[in-house]
Amino acid sequence: MTPPTSVTPPTAARLRSALPALFLVLLAAAGPWLSPHPVDVPVTAPYAGAGGGAPLGGDQLGRDVLSRLLAGGRELVASSLAVAALVTATAAVLGTVAALRPRAGRVVDRAADVLMLLPPVLGLLLVALSWPAGGRLAPALAAYVLGVPYAVRLVAAAAAPVVASGYVEAAVTGGERLGHLVVREVLPNLRATVLALFGLRFVAAVYVVATAGFLQVGPRPPAADWALMIRENAGGILLNPWAVLAPSLAIGLLAMSVNLAAAALGGV
Amino acid sequence: MAEPLTDTAGAAGGPAFRLRRSVGRRVVTVLTVLVHRALLLAVLLAVVFAAVELLPGDAATATAERGESAAGIAGRRALLGLDRPVAERFADWMAGLPTGDLGTSARGEPVAGLLARPFPDTLLLGGLALLVTFLASLALGGWAALRPGGRTDRAVSGGATAVLALPEFVVAVALVLVFAQWLEWLPAVTLAGGDGGPESWRMLVLPVVALAVPQIGWNTRIVRAALADEARAPHVEAAVLDGLPGHRVLLRHVLPGALPAIAAGLATSTGMLLGGAVVVETVFNHPGLGTVLAGAVSDRDGPVIAGVVAVAGAVVTGVLLLADLVRARASGGRP
Repeated sequence: MTPPTSVTPPTAARLRSALPALFLVLLAAAGPWLSPHPVDVPVTAPYAGAGGGAPLGGDQLGRDVLSRLLAGGRELVASSLAVAALVTATAAVLGTVAALRPRAGRVVDRAADVLMLLPPVLGLLLVALSWPAGGRLAPALAAYVLGVPYAVRLVAAAAAPVVASGYVEAAVTGGERLGHLVVREVLPNLRATVLALFGLRFVAAVYVVATAGFLQVGPRPPAADWALMIRENAGGILLNPWAVLAPSLAIGLLAMSVNLAAAALGGV
Repeated sequence: MAEPLTDTAGAAGGPAFRLRRSVGRRVVTVLTVLVHRALLLAVLLAVVFAAVELLPGDAATATAERGESAAGIAGRRALLGLDRPVAERFADWMAGLPTGDLGTSARGEPVAGLLARPFPDTLLLGGLALLVTFLASLALGGWAALRPGGRTDRAVSGGATAVLALPEFVVAVALVLVFAQWLEWLPAVTLAGGDGGPESWRMLVLPVVALAVPQIGWNTRIVRAALADEARAPHVEAAVLDGLPGHRVLLRHVLPGALPAIAAGLATSTGMLLGGAVVVETVFNHPGLGTVLAGAVSDRDGPVIAGVVAVAGAVVTGVLLLADLVRARASGGRP
């Protein structure tokens, strides 16, 4: 299990390591406003090379790759952020409860053990199959369900030493209610853990949501989406490599920068 | 993970008795671990069956021909046995699993037959990737752990952290661009040979590497951390003070204690590798479960997905079982 992370607040150097990730997230969010061309209208020949009005060339239908690249990250990033926030919030509360109430902790442990047997991609397909009308929400739901048990276990492990500390024991003996113990006594000491967890869950959500796009069980054409772009334009990889390379780089850089930021923030 | 329950009573009596006791204790450990893992798998299968069951509509309506009459659909529902109570069907499905009967697809074919050809291909891909992951992460993690905090350590650990979160298809696309398109060393697409499998081993290289790269990142960190933890143990310090050479200390004194953590890390990678294999197959047009699953999702064929989950779950359970046994052995039967 992950060792409990330090309870000291992150230093400036650690915060600086989150800057590349923050920049990419903001760029993805602002991207649709920066697109020079509409994302669903051909502006050049299919798989045309770079040049003219299309600096990264055209895609399978001759649509501008740069515009689709700028537009194709917002929803991926937004749904991943939403999933990460929800998983982290759920895990922060349930993990602390699991540390305070050993019986609940055992239930969480078993749930994580069971889920460990389900490859994430199969879990994703299962949810997509059960909820075909879900669109983008289906992969988000899959990412949430697949993420919670591990996250709860991680918070519970980090909360265990805090729960064993004198002042929490004093509060427990003092008859404080569970809600008070969780929110006022334990969680404030787990800020670093929760912050790192948020970053890790964000990367994991990007993995699930992007894989869903690639497997065509999330966003549907003609939506501009990085993962979908890679799938759609794979056939023209020889004619215009940028149509595949640019979205691959975008997803790759996002996953790497967020993971490095989470590692630095969590001090792991 | 739960600690395997073991017989911790001290061995008393003569050497023969002690030997018999230790064999008995080992059998108890193995059985307990086996039962524990089997129960977890059964719970997962129940959850999956319920998820498929909760689908609005069922296999009979999902595969209905356009304009098929309600009576026709009802007839097929009866044929597929979908008109029987849920509990009865679940019991039937579970009872069939150990015998290799994975149920019937929405089109009325046995699921086991559908998976019999593609599954070994996917398993080969995942298995090779697991082997590559094991060897590479052990080498890289060991190299980094030789001098903790050194330049190598920082480079290896940083690189591992950077790649461990990459989706497999992104790695696959990058490999195709570099090694197939630009350098033209390896094929970008898998061509099926006469037996339906890949035509040549060269077609396995890129898919296996694409699968392994993120897991190498993940496991290198685990190996490095486990080795560094174990290196602080007193018996290792004693070996160093005895003047044993570095590689001997690493292999004989540090590695054995670190093995349980390393095995557990590899076991968690197994599920990622099996799922990732399905995605990577799509990139390379590699024969395997990917095609079957894509068809099952578009047909809304729940039984096929449940069957794949059952088989994949069994494989992951097997690997986790091995990891449990490695830990039980390392702790010498002590919990």
